[in-house]
Amino acid sequence: MTKKSKCHSSENISRFVDKELDHDFYNEVAQHLDHCPDCRKISEAYKTLSDVFTDHAHTQISKIDPGILKQKLVSPLEHIEKKSMGNFFGIFSKNIYLKLASITAILMISLYTLQGYYPKGPSAIVKSVDTDFASVMIIETQKEKHTIIWFSET
Amino acid sequence: MNKLETSADDINEHDLVERLKKKQPWAFNALVNQYQNRLLKIAYGITLDREDSLEVVQDVFISVFKNIHTFRQDASLATWLRKITINQCLNWKRRWKRRFKWNHKSIESVDDSTLFKADNNTNDPEMLYREKQFEKNLMEAIGKLPEKIRLVLVLSVFEGLTYNDIAKALNIKKGTVSSRLHFARKNLFDSLKTNDTRDN
Repeated sequence: MTKKSKCHSSENISRFVDKELDHDFYNEVAQHLDHCPDCRKISEAYKTLSDVFTDHAHTQISKIDPGILKQKLVSPLEHIEKKSMGNFFGIFSKNIYLKLASITAILMISLYTLQGYYPKGPSAIVKSVDTDFASVMIIETQKEKHTIIWFSET
Repeated sequence: MNKLETSADDINEHDLVERLKKKQPWAFNALVNQYQNRLLKIAYGITLDREDSLEVVQDVFISVFKNIHTFRQDASLATWLRKITINQCLNWKRRWKRRFKWNHKSIESVDDSTLFKADNNTNDPEMLYREKQFEKNLMEAIGKLPEKIRLVLVLSVFEGLTYNDIAKALNIKKGTVSSRLHFARKNLFDSLKTNDTRDN
């Protein structure tokens, strides 16, 4: 009859189950387990715990509909994408007309101020006629001497 | 072949990441298909709740979508996803609810005396009942393990990581991994034996 070697600690058996022992020590523990029912019981129990835990998790996860996660992701991802697009093109996202009008006004004021293209008033009213139903003014510009006819219904 | 028609098998990880960085919907779909079960399993192992693990993994994918540009591919995509999943689980605010749930003890008795035997494949209703009870008791015992212990157990059992890889993933020593795994197994073994003794 083979003489039974000294039992191993449960930590070493745990490391044996995980194949985390040195090669020689692993073989030594393996040989011991062949002849020691107490240590073998611990080793088998440790393996069973892992197997049952794995099977349980697998069963639980398999109950989840594979499409549900995608469904749950659609809305948040769209929201993030819109938000990031908003950051990129934030200038166009809201009140686009107001922003465009503001930019145009700033550009025009800058242009006129910098280059002196501010509008100059007419030099003189050549003729002005007022009636009960309309007003007419004939105006001549200062430099170019252009004639402007202004008409308004009263 | 159209880009959108490419299958997950036709693309390597580097390409997938590049496509994810370009926010291609197909790439994100492939990522979810490829990793959802694996991440759900990790999350379930930590949260021990199906609905909660689903929410955790949902947050993981949203986080990936937002932060994929920061992924430099120093480690594999799977490692990066696993790390995010672990962090999401640990930061998960409703864990207190789960702890309360799992600290609740069942009043049903159980006999686990024969369940540590290797071969339990049977159609015997009594044996099946015992297996179910054993599984229930085991999950209750796992629920009572401290989170950091359970985390090491999950990475070893579900992901099959070596002690070195677990140590790197959790930034702890290899010896700590070994002792935590031993603590987990011994604790579970003892608590199931206690149940066995009490019920007999």
